[in-house]
Formats: sequence, structure tokens, C-alpha cells
Amino acid sequence: MKNAQFLFWKSCFLLISLLLSAEAISQNQPSEKKPEIKELKEVLVNGNAVEKRKKEESLNVETVNSSFIQRNLGGSLMQSLQKLPGVKTISIGSGGSKPLIRGLSFNQVIVVENGLKHEGQQWGADHGLEIDQYAVNRVEIIKGPSSFIYGSDAVGGAVNIKPLPLPFKNTFGGSVDLTGKSNNAQFGSSLNLFGRNENWFFDTRVTAMDYGDYRVPTDKVQVYSYEVPLYKNHLRNTAGRELDFHLSTGYSGENLKSVFYFSNVYAKSGFFANAHGLEPRNVDTELHDKSSRDILMPYQQVNHLKVSNTTSFNWKNHAFETQLGFQKNFRREWSHYVNHGYMPPIYPEDMYAPQDLERQYDKNVWSFSAKDEFAINRHQITVGTNVVSQENAINGWSFLIPAFNQINAGLFVYDKIELNEKWFLHGAVRYDYGKIKMQSYYDWFQSPVSENNQTQLEYLQRSQDLTKTFDSFTWSAGINYNPGKLSLKANLGSSFRMPIAKELASNGVNYHYFRFEKGNPNLDAERSYQLDLGMEWNQQNWSFQLTPFVNYFPNFIYLNPTSAHDIYYGAGNQVFEYEQSEVFRYGAELQTRYYFIKSLSAEIAAEYLYSEQKSGSKKGYTLPFSPPPSVLLGLNYEPQIDFLKDTYFSVDYRFTAAQNNIVPPEKKTAESHVFNVALGTKVKTGKEDISINIQIQNLFNTRYLNHTSFYRLIELPEAGRNIIVSMKIPFSFSR
Amino acid sequence: MKKIKLLLGILALAFISSCSSDNAEIDTEYPVVDISGSNAFPIQCSTIERGKTFTFKASFNDNVALGSYSLDIHHNFDHHTHSTEVESCEMEAVKKPVKPMLFINNYTIPDGVKNYEATAQISIPADVDPGDYHFMIRLTDKEGWQTLKGLSIKIL
Repeated sequence: MKNAQFLFWKSCFLLISLLLSAEAISQNQPSEKKPEIKELKEVLVNGNAVEKRKKEESLNVETVNSSFIQRNLGGSLMQSLQKLPGVKTISIGSGGSKPLIRGLSFNQVIVVENGLKHEGQQWGADHGLEIDQYAVNRVEIIKGPSSFIYGSDAVGGAVNIKPLPLPFKNTFGGSVDLTGKSNNAQFGSSLNLFGRNENWFFDTRVTAMDYGDYRVPTDKVQVYSYEVPLYKNHLRNTAGRELDFHLSTGYSGENLKSVFYFSNVYAKSGFFANAHGLEPRNVDTELHDKSSRDILMPYQQVNHLKVSNTTSFNWKNHAFETQLGFQKNFRREWSHYVNHGYMPPIYPEDMYAPQDLERQYDKNVWSFSAKDEFAINRHQITVGTNVVSQENAINGWSFLIPAFNQINAGLFVYDKIELNEKWFLHGAVRYDYGKIKMQSYYDWFQSPVSENNQTQLEYLQRSQDLTKTFDSFTWSAGINYNPGKLSLKANLGSSFRMPIAKELASNGVNYHYFRFEKGNPNLDAERSYQLDLGMEWNQQNWSFQLTPFVNYFPNFIYLNPTSAHDIYYGAGNQVFEYEQSEVFRYGAELQTRYYFIKSLSAEIAAEYLYSEQKSGSKKGYTLPFSPPPSVLLGLNYEPQIDFLKDTYFSVDYRFTAAQNNIVPPEKKTAESHVFNVALGTKVKTGKEDISINIQIQNLFNTRYLNHTSFYRLIELPEAGRNIIVSMKIPFSFSR
Repeated sequence: MKKIKLLLGILALAFISSCSSDNAEIDTEYPVVDISGSNAFPIQCSTIERGKTFTFKASFNDNVALGSYSLDIHHNFDHHTHSTEVESCEMEAVKKPVKPMLFINNYTIPDGVKNYEATAQISIPADVDPGDYHFMIRLTDKEGWQTLKGLSIKIL
């Protein structure tokens, strides 16, 4: 049955792609592509720049700007980008999410902001990316291995948040963003101020958000086998708030540009109260259900500070760029003390950590990078290096991963050869070195250990002093061919990822999923080989894009559920242990848009992914968090109305197929049908245009599960109907 | 044009060949903890006496092969837990633990077994706090699927 369904899906997808591509090729009549001028904040960027980038890049790149985010505004940056095929999220509640690119996430996808690799606790599914989506102007998503540019971790892809464009000379202005959401009663606001004289500029932003528990179309949920009643459809204690500051300032001259970035992103959010700890829990419903806006225990607080300087200067035909950065990610998880294993029933008074501090991670990261771009004949060469050093401290009464220090360094050369207007060749090689030093940790309480029929009380050692080094050589080769309206690309590349402390040395309970997680100190660096193809057709009333890929991992690092239980710290919970297995994956995304008339267009975006473990204890199984096939059908109407600009009405229907291809401890997820509508416009008022966007997500309040949601395992459905209204009011002061 | 056809050909091949590589059915079924039998113990709302030994009895089933199981008894004086059972038991008032009973142990199941009658002797020390407790049965199968059973019990 399962195989039959798969076959059906595969053949459907194959058929559709073949038909559509045949269609695309048969339509060969010439037509003019009007250069589209897009307004990106205060700077006008020619739409063709994005097109050009796509045509000259052999990896599959999707670029979106702030107006895309505004139209598709979700609870967090990645949720707002989910409309792009191949891009999904692992969401935690309504305000946080992690990127899931073609089924890979966590440390296999990197996020770059202003050129700096974002370093938080990427491995955890229980908190989102610490990025303020209002501060994002342009995002580039690379769906494919980009290790040769970014080093370790960019196995699955990269989300590159570009620096803000500089304000125009002699300007002073800003904007106010206002957002309201009905489902979780969210209010959000972001204030931006910027200015520039001839060469000096600044750009600041403050964003604040406050939201309540989100609502689901059901009055009870099943957490494993436990039934949990919900009060007024609220997912108890999933409220949150966020407060973010940004400042970029610097100098921009003819040959020298130096920009300082400062940002601080703070978020506090609750966890669904009935599912945290060692087992599903009863909670004081009177206390919890009194208000849907309060954040009670368990909750988390994350603060991410970033400071960096990027300086670029030109000398002869060289363009140099250096970057110095510092990041501090401080994350705390608060929860009532629950003794487990042989912890004392009453929390000791002289403990090193506060009673309710379950976990604390304190990460400091220093980074330096430098690169030089220059051209020799047809070669455009980039040579670069980067060094990153990090310190990770832990605290709290529970233990999962040890404290560790890590250093990574890399060196790369990338050559882009423009043979002629139509043909581009790419080649890159990179060498990386990494060293991770983990610290030993002993339990703060004693456990009985039986040896030779004698039982003794001992402080168990949870992690040992351990230093591991890794090095890796990665490469990438690609080609672009752009004969007119058609563009074709192919890329073959390798990438690598150093095992992280969690994978090497974790030894504790995951309180969200009630499982005991154990690291494996013998893991090798993960390697991946991927072939990417891309085909694009663009003409005035019709565009089409197909991006298939095939991917092979000789040693994918995977958290394997075993049949064993841990009787100490794990309090009898199931043991999950890191292992490596061969993995084969393939898939494709398809996007097409057809304009019936100038103002009416239809869009199809589809994605398919298949993963299979080819060896190891889960041979034959898929990988966790595998997104099921999905198709998005959209209709878009953009009428011309006087005194309004960029008016649009759109209806989307997303069909997500069932995911029956699962691996323990996942559950099969049924198919879902979700409708969204959106409309928006810009009102001309003097110099600036006020933009208004309205969305109704999940129009019919459908109850459905998202296979890749953090809360899927405990069967929490996705948010019900959500009306989102957002407004952007720009202003400027004349000088 | 030839190149495109070639490309499509390769793509089609990749899809088709991967279809045939789909292997035999994988196990996606959870093991079952059955405490409906007449001699199963404890069941929901069972009572156990201090200073005595009782015998845990339940039957386990799986479609392929069972893995192992663990048993855990911990106090529920704060009423934190609720059970997986429909029936609810009468509870004492909330109280602070002094010397609560704590029992955690894991047990093996012979390899390749689909049906297993589990029994285990558990002795309750005479000096532990009496009151509401929680009895957890966690059963895995060989592939790592796990089923939980949480029972409310009383130690007298």
C-alpha cells in the first residue's frame, strides 16, 4: 500500500514535470522581457540583478525581498518564506521556526546575516532562529551544498540574509510597521530610522512583539497516549514576546566602505505546558487558563547579540573584504524542578543553579574572515579564509550536552569563468580544519551502582574530557548555459559537516520528547555529494522552473531510537543514540506561473523529496522530519486602480500529501488541504506610499497536522484560522 | 534541444530507477502493552502494601519482535501526572515528599519474541511514604518504536 502510494506520487510528479517542460520547450516564440524595477526600501534595485545572479550561479538560488515577506508574513522569518518550494520549517509554536531546506535542517543548514554565520543552538528543535524578520530586506536561499563558501555545516543549504542597502545620499527618514494577528492575539510593531549625508550613514530599528497562546481547531489533544483537554482551543502556555534592536552605521566612499552592525534579539516564549519533563504532565489548569497571554513555566528565554564590522576596499582590480564579528547567544530554559533518576525529591538549597533553571547555554563566538575578488581575463576569482572560535558554557540542574570550546578555520578558492554570454563555468575547492574540546561533567547527585552484588552510591560521570579534530577537503563544479529564454544549470559538489557536541557527547533527557539522548564520540565528519540541476524558462506571460537533485551521504549522522531504556538519569526513558548511516536522497521542486492577462496569473509550486537510509540499524527507513510532497496552487489578481499601487488579491490552496514514510518515533501524518487568501495595496500619500497587507491563513479553520512541526510528535495540530493585518508607513524628513 | 532531451532522460531514469530500489515493507507498528488480562498487575487504581513484594504481570505483543521494557514507580504527591487510562482514581491531598518510593529498572525480553508474558518481582520498603504513586511501563520493539502505559496506584 505504502509503496503503491509512493509510486503513484513519483510518477505523478515525473509526468507533470515532463509535460510542463516539454511545453516550455515547445513555446519558442521571441518576446521581450520588460526589465522590472523593484523598490527595495529606499534603494531601487533592478529586478534583472536577481535574474542575472540566478543565471550566473550554478547552485539553485531563490531570492526574495521584504515585500514578499510582508505579503506572506508568518510568525517568524522562515514561516514567511514557506511558500517557496523546497523551503519548509521546523516550527515551535507561533513565533519561532528553523529552516528546513529539502528536508535538512539544524546544523545542516546555515543562516548568514550580514555576512556573519549565525551561531545559536542550531541543534535544538525547541526554539526558533534568532532573527528579526522586520529587519530583513533581502534573503537568498541556496538549495544545495554550499560548504565551499561557508565551510562546515552548509550541507543542506544556506539562508543568506543580505546586508541592508545603504540609504541614498542626503536623506533622513524611516518607517513604522504595524502587525496584528487574530489567532494568537499578536501585536507587533517595528520602527526604523535611517539617514545619510555624503558618506556617513546610520540605520536603526526597534521591533517589539507580544502574542498570546495560539489556538487550534480542537478542544483536546493526545500527547502520546495521554489525553489533554484544551481551554477555549488555546494551546496552553504558548504565548511569547520579542524585543529586538538593530543599528548599522558606517562610511561609504568611492573605494572604501566600512559598516558596523549591532543587533540584539530577545525572545521569551512558553512551551506547551502539558508536554514537558519526563512524561506528559497534569498542570494547574486554573492557573494556566486564567490568561492566554501570560508566560508560565515551562518557558525559554533567548538573547542573541551580534556585533560586527565589514570593511571592503578596492585596489587596482582587486576587491578586498574583511569581517570581524562577535556573537553571544544566551539561552535559558525554565521549568519546575522534577527529580528524575536518583535526584533528591526536594531541591537542595545549596545548589549552584536556581531551582527552576532547567538548562542554560551560553555561547560566545568570535569570527574573522577575509576575501579578495579579482578578475584575470575571463576568470573571476575569489580567494578567502575564515577563522571562528567559540566557547560554550552550560548551567542549570539538568544535563544534556557538556560545555565545550571549538575552533574552525578554512581556506577556499572559487573561480567563475565566463566563456561567453551564454556559458559560465564554476570551480571551487576548500580546505577546512576544526577542533572541538569537550569538558567533563559529573552528576550533582548520587545514584546507586551495583557491582559484584554490592550497591554503592556514586556521582556518575556524564561526559568526559574529550578533544576531537577534523579536517576536510571539499569541492564544487558547475556550469550554466543561458540560450535566451531558457537557462540551464548543473552543479556537482561535495560538502561536509563536523559533528557537534550534541552528537558527540550528549548524555541526558530531552524533556520535550521524553527520551534519553546519547552521543557517540566515534562519529566521523559527515560528508555529502550532491548533483543539482536547474532548468528555467522565462518569457513575458509564462515562466517555469524545475530544480531536481540527487544526494548521497556515506555517513549521515542520525539520532537512532534504540530498544533500550536508561535507568539512571533517564528514569526509564527510551535511549536514542547517535549513529551514522549511508543515506540516499533525491527530489525536485517545480514552479510555474502563467499570465492569462496582464493582471491575472496562476501559479503552481510543487515539491517532492525522497530519503532512504541505505545502511545501519534503520536501513530502509527514511530520515526524520521528511516533508511530504506538496503542491501549492495560486491565483493572483493585480488590478490597476487609481491612487493605489501594487494592488493584489490572491488565493492559495496548498495540498500536502500524507507522509507514510516514517522512522521511529514519528507518526504517519495524514494529507491536508489548506486555503489562504491575501490582499494588499499601496496608498499613494505624498512622497511615500503606505502599504497595507491582509492575509487569512487557514481560511476554513482546518484541523491538520504538519509533519515537520516540532509539536507533531505530541500530535498538536497547526494553528487555526488566522487573520493577519500589517501596515508599513514610511516617512521622510526633508533636509 | 538534444541536450535538454538528454537531461530529461537522465532525470526520468533517476526517478524510475529509484522506484525500483524501494525495498520490502518496513515496520511502522508500535508494540502493545496489554493489562486487560485477569492476572495483570498492577492495573489502574491498584493498591500495594509497604514492606511487601508484589509481582508485576502484563502481556506484551509486537508484529515483528519485541525490544525491552522498563518499569518506574515515582510519587505523584503533587498530582503532576495523569494516567493513560480513562478511569480516574481517588487521590489524597497534595503533600510534600519525605522519603518517597523510587524504583527504576529495565528488563530484557528474549530476542525475536513477538508475544511475551512479563513478570517482575518488586519489593516496597517498609519505610517509604505512603500515598499516590505513578507506575510507568515503557515498552519498545526491536526497531525502536515505544509504547507508554502510565497507571495511578496507591501505596498503603
